[in-house]
Amino acid sequence: MKEELAPHVQDINRALGNKVSEQEIERELSSYLNVYRVSLDTAKRSIVKKHGGNPATLAMGVSKTLRELMPGEQSVNLLARIVSVNEKDVTVEGGSKRILYGILGDPTTTIPFTAWEPLSVPLAKGDVVRVQNAYTKEYRGQVQVNFGSRTAVAKEAPTALPEYKPGVGQPYVGKPTPVRVVDLREGGSNVAVTARILSVERREVEVDGAPKAVFSGVLADETGKTQFSAWKDFTLKADEVLRIEGAYVKSWRGIPQISFDERATITRLKPDLLPSSERLNVSPRMWIEDLADRGGAADVTVRGILIDLREGSGLVYRCPECRRVLRKGACRLHGEVKGEPDLRVKAVLDDGSGALTAVFDRELTEALLDKTLDICIASAKEAMSTEIVRDELADLLVAQPIEARGNVTSDDYGLMMIVETAKLLKVDVQAEAREMLEGLEGSA
Amino acid sequence: MIREVAWRLFASEYNDANLEAEGTGERPPSYIVTPLGAKVNRVFVVGVITDVENVGTDGQPMWRARVSDPTGTFHVYAGQYQPEAAATLSKLKPPVFGAIVGKSRIYSPQPGTTYTSIRPETIKAVDETVRDFWILEACRSLRKRLNAMGEAQKMDPLTKEGLVKIGVKEAIADGIVQAMNHYGRVDLSRYTAMLAEGLRYLLPEYREPIAPGEPVVEAAAPAKEEPPREPDESEAKVLEIIASLDKDGKGAPWEGILENATSKGVSKDSLEESINTLLDKGLIYEPILGRMKKI
Repeated sequence: MKEELAPHVQDINRALGNKVSEQEIERELSSYLNVYRVSLDTAKRSIVKKHGGNPATLAMGVSKTLRELMPGEQSVNLLARIVSVNEKDVTVEGGSKRILYGILGDPTTTIPFTAWEPLSVPLAKGDVVRVQNAYTKEYRGQVQVNFGSRTAVAKEAPTALPEYKPGVGQPYVGKPTPVRVVDLREGGSNVAVTARILSVERREVEVDGAPKAVFSGVLADETGKTQFSAWKDFTLKADEVLRIEGAYVKSWRGIPQISFDERATITRLKPDLLPSSERLNVSPRMWIEDLADRGGAADVTVRGILIDLREGSGLVYRCPECRRVLRKGACRLHGEVKGEPDLRVKAVLDDGSGALTAVFDRELTEALLDKTLDICIASAKEAMSTEIVRDELADLLVAQPIEARGNVTSDDYGLMMIVETAKLLKVDVQAEAREMLEGLEGSA
Repeated sequence: MIREVAWRLFASEYNDANLEAEGTGERPPSYIVTPLGAKVNRVFVVGVITDVENVGTDGQPMWRARVSDPTGTFHVYAGQYQPEAAATLSKLKPPVFGAIVGKSRIYSPQPGTTYTSIRPETIKAVDETVRDFWILEACRSLRKRLNAMGEAQKMDPLTKEGLVKIGVKEAIADGIVQAMNHYGRVDLSRYTAMLAEGLRYLLPEYREPIAPGEPVVEAAAPAKEEPPREPDESEAKVLEIIASLDKDGKGAPWEGILENATSKGVSKDSLEESINTLLDKGLIYEPILGRMKKI
C-alpha cells in the first residue's frame, strides 16, 4: 500500500512546492483513503487544496481501465486504443473550433472521447495511446472521456494493448447482467436478454476490407423492440425465443441496439415463455421523458401536442446534390442551385413530460393537408409566397393532440422522431375524467 | 440545450407560486416553482380568452389577455418582443377558446406581493375539444404531482435521491425538494379538491347548472367531500339570471342582475361572490364594464 502510494505522495509534494513534509502528506493521504474512504483522485486534490496549492498542477492521475471510469473524474490516466477518430467543427463561446472525437477501447470496454484542444501527436485508428490527466463526464447516461488543456497524450507501441477487432473482443469476465429490452443503454457490455426474434436476415458487410456475414433483425420482449446484429451464425430463426448471454450494446444515433458474437451463449427457450410475435411487434407507447433517458428508441408511439411549427416547415426547396433545404435559394454547401420542391413538417411535439422534434415527410404532409405538392406550389405562386403553406399547416396542426409512431434518435439538439404514421388523437375525455374521478374518490 | 417541456397546469396552482429558481449552464433558464413542485419555464395553456386589452400605448402596445380555466385566471402579456402573439391577440374576438404556449413570468412589485403571468410564444384560437383534452392533461399532471408530494411529505429527511428511488423523475424530485424548502408542508386537500373540480368540469352530470323547479338528479358517484368551490345554488341562479337578461347579446346589465337576484333571495354580497366565482371559472365574462355575459 505504502509503496503504491509513494508516487502520489511525491506528486502532491511537487504540486505543493515541497512545503509540506512527505510524512505529513502520507499520513493525510492514508487518512483520506482508509478512514474517509474517498477516491484517490479526490484525496489528492483535497490535500493540495487544503495546503493552499492548485490541484490542477497535479501531474499524475490515477490509472484506470475504461470499465472502471466513473462520471466526474478530474484526472485519470488511461492506456487505450483509438477505435475510431474523426474531426468536427463546433461553435464554442461564439468562435469556431476544430475538435477530435471518437472511441477509445481497451480490453474491458469501449468509451467515446472528445479532444477539445489540439494534440501534440496526430491520432489515427488503431494507435495505442497513453493518456494522462484526462477527465470524464456523463452524457446521456454514458461516461465520456475528455482531453482538455492539461491532458497529455503520447503514442505507445501497438503491442502495448491487444489489438481491437470489432466483434472479436476479449472474453467477458464475470456473470452477464440481465437487462430488459427497454433498459438497454449504449455502452453496456456482457448483458443477458431473453427475447423473441421477430425477424432476421443475412447480410454481407465489409470489415477491415474482408467480407463478413452478419445476421441482423429485430428482437423483442414485453418491454420493447430493438435491432440486433449477430456476428456469428447462430442459425437464428424468426419466432424463436432465446436467452442471449454476453451481448453488448451499441447505439445508432441514440437508438440502443444489441450486438453479439462468438463470446455470447445462446440458449433456446420454450416458445410460450414470451407473448407471440404479433403481440410483441406493436409499437410501445412511451413518454418523452423516458425516451430522453434512453437517448432514443426504434418504432415507438408518442402521444402529445404539436405546440409549435419549426422554421423550414411547409413548402421547401432542396439542393439537388445533397438534399439540404435551401435558405434564400442557396445551399449551405453548394451555393446557388435550382432547388427541387418538397413538402415537410418539422414540429415540436410535447407530451407534458418532454419535447421532441417530429419530422413528417412529403407523403404524410400531403395527407395532413389533403393536398398534393403540385397544388401547394400553385397556391404559393398565386400568393407569391411559400408562407401560405406553412400558415395552413400551422392552422391545422398547432395545439392539436396527435399520436405519432416512428424511430426516435437523439443528437446535441435533443430528440427527433422521424414520423412513420401519425393520426389526430381522439380521446374520450369524459370516460377518462370519470375514471380518474372515481379513483380519486375511492382513495379519499 | 434541451428544449424545456411545456407544463400543463391549472391557473390556481400557477398563481399560488411565488418562488423563482434559476437553472444551470451558460444561459441559465429561469423557473417558477409551484407549491406542488412543478418547475415551470414553459407552459401550455388552453382556456377561455375572456378579454383582451391594450394596456400599453397606441405606439407601443402591450396586449393583456385573461385566460380562464376551471380553477382561475392566467394573465398573458404580449408586447413588441412577441410580435406574432401580439398580432394574434389584437385580432381575437373574446370570448374564444385559446391555446397559448409561453414562458413563465413572475413579477414582484414589493416584497410579499408576487404576480405570475405568461409571456406567449404562440397563441391560437382552438375549439372546445382541444380545451377539454387540455383539462384532462392538466388533471393528470396535477395528480402526478399530488402523489409525488404526498410521498415527499411522508419522507424524513426529504431528499431528491430518496424520491428518485421511489420512481419520481429527477427533474420533478428537484422541484419538490425546492418547493418543500420554500413553502413548507402545503395543504394537499386544497389541490385534491382542485383536481376533482377540474374533472367534474368535464362531466355533463356536474357541469349543467340545475334550473330551479327541476328534479335534482343525484350524481352516480356522490362526492364524499364536497369541495368548497363547486357551483352552488346561488351561482346557478345568477347564471340563469344573466342568460335571461342578455336580450340584445351585449350582456346583462349589472342593475338588472342585482334587482333580479334580490327578488330571488340572493343577497348583494352573495351575488358579488357568485359573479366573481363564475368569472374565475370562465362561465361568464364582462364584455364591457357593467355587463355580464354567459359563455
